[in-house]
Amino acid sequence: MTVAIADEDPKQSPLRWILLVVFAALLTLMMIAGAFALRDLRQMYAEQQAVRHAFADRARGISNLCLSIQVYNQTASDGDFSGATRAKLDGLSAQIRAAVDRLEADHHQEEGPLLSSIRTLVARQQSLYEDRRRRNAVLALQDSQPLNEMLLAWSRNSSTWSSTRVHNDDEAMLVDFGKLDGTLSKSFIIALASALLLVVACMIYILRLERQTQVRYVQLARNRHELQRLSSRLVDAQESERRSISRELHDEIGQSLGALLVDLSRLSASVPPDRPEVKEQVERMKGVAERSVQAVRNIALLLRPSMLDDLGLGPALEWQGREVSRRSDIEVEVHAESASADLPPEYATTIYRLVQEALNNAVRHSGARTAKVELERAGRRVCVRISDDGRGFDPKRTRGLGILGMEERVKRLGGDFTVLSSPGQGTRIAADLPLPTESAAA
Amino acid sequence: MSRKTRVLLADDHVLIRAGLRMVVDAQPDLTVVGEAGDGREAVAMAENLKPDVVVMDIGMPTLNGIEAASQVREKLPDAQIVMLSMHSDEGYVLRALKAGAKAYLLKDSAETDLARAIRAAAEGKSFFSPAVGRVLLEDYVRKLQRTGGEDSYDLLSPREREILQLVAEGKSSKEIANLLNLSVYTVETHRARVMQKLNLRGIPELILYAVRKGIIA
Repeated sequence: MTVAIADEDPKQSPLRWILLVVFAALLTLMMIAGAFALRDLRQMYAEQQAVRHAFADRARGISNLCLSIQVYNQTASDGDFSGATRAKLDGLSAQIRAAVDRLEADHHQEEGPLLSSIRTLVARQQSLYEDRRRRNAVLALQDSQPLNEMLLAWSRNSSTWSSTRVHNDDEAMLVDFGKLDGTLSKSFIIALASALLLVVACMIYILRLERQTQVRYVQLARNRHELQRLSSRLVDAQESERRSISRELHDEIGQSLGALLVDLSRLSASVPPDRPEVKEQVERMKGVAERSVQAVRNIALLLRPSMLDDLGLGPALEWQGREVSRRSDIEVEVHAESASADLPPEYATTIYRLVQEALNNAVRHSGARTAKVELERAGRRVCVRISDDGRGFDPKRTRGLGILGMEERVKRLGGDFTVLSSPGQGTRIAADLPLPTESAAA
Repeated sequence: MSRKTRVLLADDHVLIRAGLRMVVDAQPDLTVVGEAGDGREAVAMAENLKPDVVVMDIGMPTLNGIEAASQVREKLPDAQIVMLSMHSDEGYVLRALKAGAKAYLLKDSAETDLARAIRAAAEGKSFFSPAVGRVLLEDYVRKLQRTGGEDSYDLLSPREREILQLVAEGKSSKEIANLLNLSVYTVETHRARVMQKLNLRGIPELILYAVRKGIIA
């Protein structure tokens, strides 16, 4: 049987919405923090890449410049004043100027004075070279010597500045990293705190739900128990009511009618033979009394078969079988004698009513020709089976009050109840009842 | 004239007891020595009064008539039981016979048959209300018709039928042997064969069978 589950609480807790919002906020927060961190990282990478490229470019530019200056100096100091050399020197000086221009475009103020001095130096060297063509070579060499030293010094300065720049870039990157670290830590702490909050809220919510479920479950179990107790008491009440009415009918009305019958018989016997009309009247009265006795007896038997009390379950079942055979077209076979001894009265009544109901159903609906009642005892269990060869039915679709009543009686004693039937296959009803242990019976 | 047959009446209803008492006391050869209101009282009074016949109602409080009858038979093997009942069903008849009752009377016909039943029981003979035999026979015939079984009585030889009747009437093998001029051994053999052919277990079932077939009444 399915049990109706308690309806959903109409006052749904707002906590679930709060939890949902917090969940969403937490997720959004983490996504935003992640996106920011990703963006910052990309930016830093790009910056670093640019710095590296710029540094490499400058290093190349500077070394090219140095090389050009050295080649220029070398060529100039050779003292060769041919036209080819002049053209070469002119080309070199143009290259040097261009390189200085490129370096100047970088706008590094530290290098600014240096570059302008280079420019001056190169210009001076050029003019020196022109002078040398006129003056002697020794003088020219004297002039070019400090120039070479200056160039060397400048080269050293340049590399110092470069490393300073790299250092500065590193510093800037470190600051960027620090910022990123701070942002990440902050979002991490916020996320952690919210998650913690969320976990606590969830736990509280779950615990509350669990408590509610527990309470409902206990309630449900109690209700079901109550229901079972009620129906069991109903069955008990019905049984005892039937018994008392049956007893009353039998003891009061039945016995009075019986006594009346005895008196009428004696009266009939004592009527003188010359009064046949009186005798006939008395006989008629006797007939009425007999029919009444029979009617009262039948009603009493239906309510509570006295054989259940007089003879026990086995004979009562056999009697029931014969009764059904007498008043219907079904021949009932009963095998109950061996298993029916010493059953507690409650069990005997249950089994008797089960058989009564099942046979009544068979008579009313099955169209069966034979039916069989079997009672078996196996260990601490007693099993009763009622089968017929009738037209059967679909137990899933048809479930009358009779079958429900049988099931109720069986469940009350903690037994299993099964109905096996399908259209055209007859019906087989079985109940398997556990007997109480000795200590429980005592 | 021999002494009167002493009768103990056991029924839980005063009105019925009074009616029965009138019937019994009206007979010159019968006398009521006591009245019991329930089964336990009936057993105790039977032990004290040692009646020849106990007329016992089946449906009685504290101890039903069938239980009381077996206890009386156990304590006083010479006392015979006339069972009074409202039921003509074989379940009752068979159990009454198993409890040691000689006669089985329906309450409806107690008025007319009680004296005869008491006398028959006192002599150790069986007696059954005619309606009982009729109901048993109807059940039997209907069952045979519906299940297509055959009447096992047809299987018996004339000699076996004779012995069946005598056993059902309450005669011992020795009495039957004397009556038919046979040896006790032969009678026992016939008797066993009858029981086997009719698929009967014990004398009560044999008596029931005989009542059903109208062999005894």
